[in-house]
Amino acid sequence: MGFFSTLGEIFTILKHVFSQVFERPFTVLYPYEDREHPERTRGRHIHIREKCTACAQCVRACPVVAIRIDKSDRKYEKDAALYFDYTRCIFCGLCVQACRFNALFHTKVVDLSEPERERLHYDPERIETLDRDPLEWRGSRFR
Amino acid sequence: MSPDILDEAIEIWFGPQHVSAHGWAAKLTLIGDYIVECDPHAGYFHRSAEKVLEFRNFRQGPLVMERLCMLESFLMEYPYVSAVEQIAGLEVPERARIMRTILMEASRIHSLQFWWGQFAAELGLFTMLLWPWVDREYFLDAFEELTGSRHAVSFNTPGGVKYDFTDKFLKKLDRALLRIEERLPKFKDMLLHGPTFRLRTKNVGLFSAEQGLRWGLSGPNIKACGVPMDLRKDKPDSNLAYDLADWEVPTVHNEEHPGQSDAYDRMVQRFLEVETSINIIRQLLPQIPEGPIIDPKARAKANRLPEGEAYGRVEGTRGITSLWLKTTEKAQTAYRAKIRGPCFASYYALKHLVPGSRFADFIVIFGSLDPYPGLWDR
Repeated sequence: MGFFSTLGEIFTILKHVFSQVFERPFTVLYPYEDREHPERTRGRHIHIREKCTACAQCVRACPVVAIRIDKSDRKYEKDAALYFDYTRCIFCGLCVQACRFNALFHTKVVDLSEPERERLHYDPERIETLDRDPLEWRGSRFR
Repeated sequence: MSPDILDEAIEIWFGPQHVSAHGWAAKLTLIGDYIVECDPHAGYFHRSAEKVLEFRNFRQGPLVMERLCMLESFLMEYPYVSAVEQIAGLEVPERARIMRTILMEASRIHSLQFWWGQFAAELGLFTMLLWPWVDREYFLDAFEELTGSRHAVSFNTPGGVKYDFTDKFLKKLDRALLRIEERLPKFKDMLLHGPTFRLRTKNVGLFSAEQGLRWGLSGPNIKACGVPMDLRKDKPDSNLAYDLADWEVPTVHNEEHPGQSDAYDRMVQRFLEVETSINIIRQLLPQIPEGPIIDPKARAKANRLPEGEAYGRVEGTRGITSLWLKTTEKAQTAYRAKIRGPCFASYYALKHLVPGSRFADFIVIFGSLDPYPGLWDR
């Protein structure tokens, strides 16, 4: 084991270390940036009450009984008080496909976690508004 | 065996908390380092999928099926969809037929990539866990681009498919295929020609074709013994497009023990399966015609089915997956559905395979048979 061969090994290690340090990371720094979500991403839903006719086809299509329409609730126009239970939803997309009036859509908001379980029961007002924009791809902020 | 030796025998439970035992447990009787008895226990993953199917209508049924094995969701949906199509008399458009086949083969590749990463990790080769799983992400990205979800794809539906191919999806699928084509020779070189892997897997878990057929094994486990048993060739399905591609059933020939296979052969077999799948996808991609992706009458016809029974089957990644469906007159849900998963047979084959081997080889034998708990406990 000569002096120069040891030095050579050290340089080999240093070469890999430096190439790792200056390489782009494979992961994204999540709360500050998000990955690009495709067009068809099945995230949380948004309900457009102007188009809804309260036909309840989404309720019938749902395999896990996550949607409920309260037709006796007169507070909302067209009687379409849509309640969404995200503790049950499996994001299969059958309700969106069942809607013939384009009143229910998926959004790109996929991070739904809440501190309390009850907050995942979306009431009619909450399901028709996006409380925040979906996280956009903000480019390489830290790169 | 003298009684003195039996006094020294100890019984230990492998699982269900063991890292490699993801949802299963086997009772092993050991004398020294050697296993004399293996008693596999099923039931830790039971989710009553067959009963659940009796309460779901025919468009919701595939969602239950794909959750049995998330790794091959495109393949798992198909037996149910096929059975419904047979009872309802639905015609699948040519475009949907080819799209289904392409995605089923893509699903097979990604499932095998998952398996060989996991198998290598069980042998202690951690690099081989991470590398195939990075390549697997490319397929998952393509699936997400197509369906909006990475695993629970919900793609097949009675009468056709739900989502049409886009240019962006085709680009991503091509990227995933290029990546695996580029890296497959490297993986083969690392695993099959490396001494560590050979020492651990050669002559471990050896069984013959007759034994395998008697235990009910199917898929790569039996093909590794040199039996070209493949549903894609043997019973061509009119709703799938395997007849449009030119391919052969891959088999392995063990030169030391003809007609038998060990863990090493089963690994080689799965590499060959990936190559076959790539070959099929590459041939089918230019053949996709223009046209509808779903039978226009599918929605109405799948609402209420006539009385009848049908048997849908598919050559899954792990073997023959099939479903028997019975409906009554004007049925909205199944009267009875019976699922046959390939892994129940390969799990209980351990009972015959393991005795006589060393304790350290147990997980090698288990991993080489590629059982998935979700497929033996429906």
